[in-house]
Amino acid sequence: MSILHLSFYSAFTLSSLGLAFHRTHLISALLCLESMMLSMYVALAMWPIQTHTSSSTILPILMLAFSACEAGTGLALLVASTRTHGSDHLHNFNLLQC
Amino acid sequence: FTISLMMGTTITISSNHWIMAWTGLEINTLAILPMISKSHHPRAIEAATKYFLVQAAASTLVLFSSMTNAWHTGQWDITQLTHPVSCSILTAAISMKLGLVPFHFWFPEVLQGSSMITGLLLSTAMKFPPITLLFMTSQSLNTTLLSIMAILSAALGGWMGLNQTQIRKIMAFSSISHLGWMAIILVYNPKLMLLNFYLYTVMTATVFLAFNSIKVLKLSTLMTAWAKTPSLTAMLLLALLSLAGLPPLTGFLPKWLIIQELTKQDMIVAAM
Repeated sequence: MSILHLSFYSAFTLSSLGLAFHRTHLISALLCLESMMLSMYVALAMWPIQTHTSSSTILPILMLAFSACEAGTGLALLVASTRTHGSDHLHNFNLLQC
Repeated sequence: FTISLMMGTTITISSNHWIMAWTGLEINTLAILPMISKSHHPRAIEAATKYFLVQAAASTLVLFSSMTNAWHTGQWDITQLTHPVSCSILTAAISMKLGLVPFHFWFPEVLQGSSMITGLLLSTAMKFPPITLLFMTSQSLNTTLLSIMAILSAALGGWMGLNQTQIRKIMAFSSISHLGWMAIILVYNPKLMLLNFYLYTVMTATVFLAFNSIKVLKLSTLMTAWAKTPSLTAMLLLALLSLAGLPPLTGFLPKWLIIQELTKQDMIVAAM
C-alpha cells in the first residue's frame, strides 16, 4: 500500500471519527462531513492518473457537484435549526425524546 | 420533490457502477429533506437535521468502501465486491441507511418529527434503494456482522416499542424489527428478502394511510377512533394484526418462509 493510499485512508478515518464524536456544535459535524467529501474527491481524482484511464476523469467533478449540494443543504438545515432552536448546540436537540 | 425521489430510486436500482448507486442515494437524501422539514416546526427541523447527518455519513461510507474496493481490485462493478474490509464497511453503511441496530437511534425521532405521509415515504420508499443494493451485493457481504445486526434489530425493535404512546415511534420500531427479519434471510435467499420487503411495504403503507385519514397521533386518539369511522378502524385492526405476523393473515407468510429457510441452513438458534 503506497503512501498515497495510506494518507487517503487516514484522512477519511479521522474525518469520520470527528463526525462521530462531535460534541457541542452542529457546524463541526458539517465540517467533518465536508472533509470526508474532500478526501474522497482527492482519491477519485488520483484514480485516472494511476490507472491511465482518461474516461473516468468526470467522476471527481460529479462527486464534487453532489458534495457541494449536500454542503448547501447542510448549511440550510443549520440556519433553520438556529432559527427554531436558538443556537446550534447539540444539547438543544432533545424535543423528540422517547 | 416526489419526481426527484423517484428519479433517485430509479438511478440506484438500475446502476451497476458504484458512483451511480451513490448518486441515486444522494438524490434521494436531498429530495426527501425538504419534505421532512416542510412544516417549520422545531421538531421537524430537528428531525431533518438528524436524518441528514446520518444519511450523508452513510452515503460517504458507501463511496469509501467502493473506492477501497476499486483500488484493490481495479473495477467499480457492484456485484463484484471482493475486498473484505470494503465488504464490512459497506455492510455497516447500508445498515446505517436502513436503520438496523446499532445504527437505529435516528429512526424513531426522525419518523416522529415528520408528517404521516412523509413518514410513510421514509419507511417504505427510502428503504428501497438500500435493499436493492443489499440484494445486488448479497453474496459478498459480511455475513457475521449482518446476522448479528439483524437478530439484534428483530429483538430490540420489539422491546423498545413496548412503552411507546406515539404512533409514529411504534411504527418506527416495527420497521426496525421487520428490517431485521429481512436482513437475516438475505444471505440464504435474497428473493425471499424481496418478497418480505414488498409485503412489508404494502402493509405499512396501509397502516400509515389509515392513520393519516383518521388523523391519530397517539394511542389515546386511536382508542376513540372507532366512533368516527368504524369500517376503517376495523380494517386498520386487520392490517395491524397482519403486520404483526399472526397466522391466518398475509403477514405470516414471509415469517414462515424465513424460518423454513433458516432451519434448512441449520440456523435453528437464529430462528428463535
